[in-house]
Amino acid sequence: MKRTLLGSLGIALFLALWQAIGQFKLAGISWPPLSAVLDMLSDASRLPLFRRALSATLASTAVGYAWGMIAGLALATLAHLLPWLRRGSDRLAAVLNSVPSIALGPIFLVLLSRDSTPAAVSSIHVFFIVFVSTSSGLQRASAAHRDLFEVLGADRLERFFRLEFPAALPPLVSGLRLAWPAALIGAIIGEWFGASRGIGILIINAMQNFQIVLLWCAVMLAVVASLFFYGLLTIAERAAYARFG
Amino acid sequence: MTRPLLVRLVEDYWGVVLLLCAWQLWVVISRFNVIVMPTPTAVLRDLLSHPDVYLDNVGVTLAVAAFGLVAGMAVGTGLAVAAWFSAITAGLLNPITVLFSSVPVVALIPVIARLLGYDTSTVLAIVVIITFFPSFVFASSGLRSAPPGSEDLFRVLGASRLDLLRHLALPAAMPNLAIAFRLASAHAILAAMVAEFLMGTSGLGYLFAKTKSDFQTEQAFGASAVATAISAAAFLLAGRVERWARERYS
Repeated sequence: MKRTLLGSLGIALFLALWQAIGQFKLAGISWPPLSAVLDMLSDASRLPLFRRALSATLASTAVGYAWGMIAGLALATLAHLLPWLRRGSDRLAAVLNSVPSIALGPIFLVLLSRDSTPAAVSSIHVFFIVFVSTSSGLQRASAAHRDLFEVLGADRLERFFRLEFPAALPPLVSGLRLAWPAALIGAIIGEWFGASRGIGILIINAMQNFQIVLLWCAVMLAVVASLFFYGLLTIAERAAYARFG
Repeated sequence: MTRPLLVRLVEDYWGVVLLLCAWQLWVVISRFNVIVMPTPTAVLRDLLSHPDVYLDNVGVTLAVAAFGLVAGMAVGTGLAVAAWFSAITAGLLNPITVLFSSVPVVALIPVIARLLGYDTSTVLAIVVIITFFPSFVFASSGLRSAPPGSEDLFRVLGASRLDLLRHLALPAAMPNLAIAFRLASAHAILAAMVAEFLMGTSGLGYLFAKTKSDFQTEQAFGASAVATAISAAAFLLAGRVERWARERYS
């Protein structure tokens, strides 16, 4: 109770500070007050623009999230079942994660198309996080449990599906939670390489045309989209830890 | 047991080698013009023939990333210590850090650029922000990870809050800080590069943006390859630091 109270107070202080800095122009004209940003966000004439951009970005993020999750799960599972693949797949994932996302853009532009580049960049971000959390999760099952399965005559696949995979679920869900903001960042960066619409496009256009309030609105939309799903996944994470933790 | 070099190479790098071969094959088979998509060998040739161009920009990016990493970790740890000292600060700070840790930081680059100007200070600010969050989160949980009862023991022996911090909480937080360091070090370079790309000042990101628009695609990919190598090396090296910290402090 006390924590929620202090927490809300912290958020309220933060928002009040934002409003004050904007109102009194403490940070110059580039910092609009919160109320100006909210006004524009609720402006009916701008609503279609925001809705189009947000739905385009969310669609790319969702597609990239799904592909990245499938790829990360698949490689981690494969490396777990075939141990001689493990070292190489760890290295591959680390190198893929080290490729700057702005370099991924041009590659996917040639490999796929302008409008699927955001999803592709986002899937690479998600892939790494899911791969790392799944492969460390698959090693969570205790040696005693493994031995028990061995003694009771379970084969490799049974052990995987009934012991190791359930044990990996909590870290996997934590990974999925962390992967959402990363997926969104990937989609936004991917959009810079010529997508036709999206939050990333809105941000770049507003930045280049000095539409400061619009820029803050676009950033605010990205933040809200990130927080909303992050919150949902946090609830899923609690459930996973309660059941399989 | 030491493995022969060739076996080790195949076991550790089959994925990376496969990827590079696929890239080479793809470009050769589709007969792409070098402007559209260069082969990895062409990129390597460019890297070897213009080392000076790369070295200058690597220096800039590395300096900004390293300085930002240290500053970000110092701020993050400092705030975590402040939160450790007082429950009120912790209560006020926690939701804000959760809020920020889920924010797509890349989206903030244009806003920060408007505030600080289109130069290196913005790149630095981005690196600080990106490295600050993991260090705050990991340091906070690390400071509270001392074995149960040890805090009472310190109290009974008359240790002040400051002694407690220096001799119990901070050492207990070291392994966690090392994890934060590993997560942050790879991201520091990549974040610096994205910021340089948008801002167009100097460094690897700038080199990428400039050569891309001049159709020197090999050099743009060369810059990315260098960034990839540095960031992967930072990740692996920081992994060693993490292992050392874990053995030394826990």
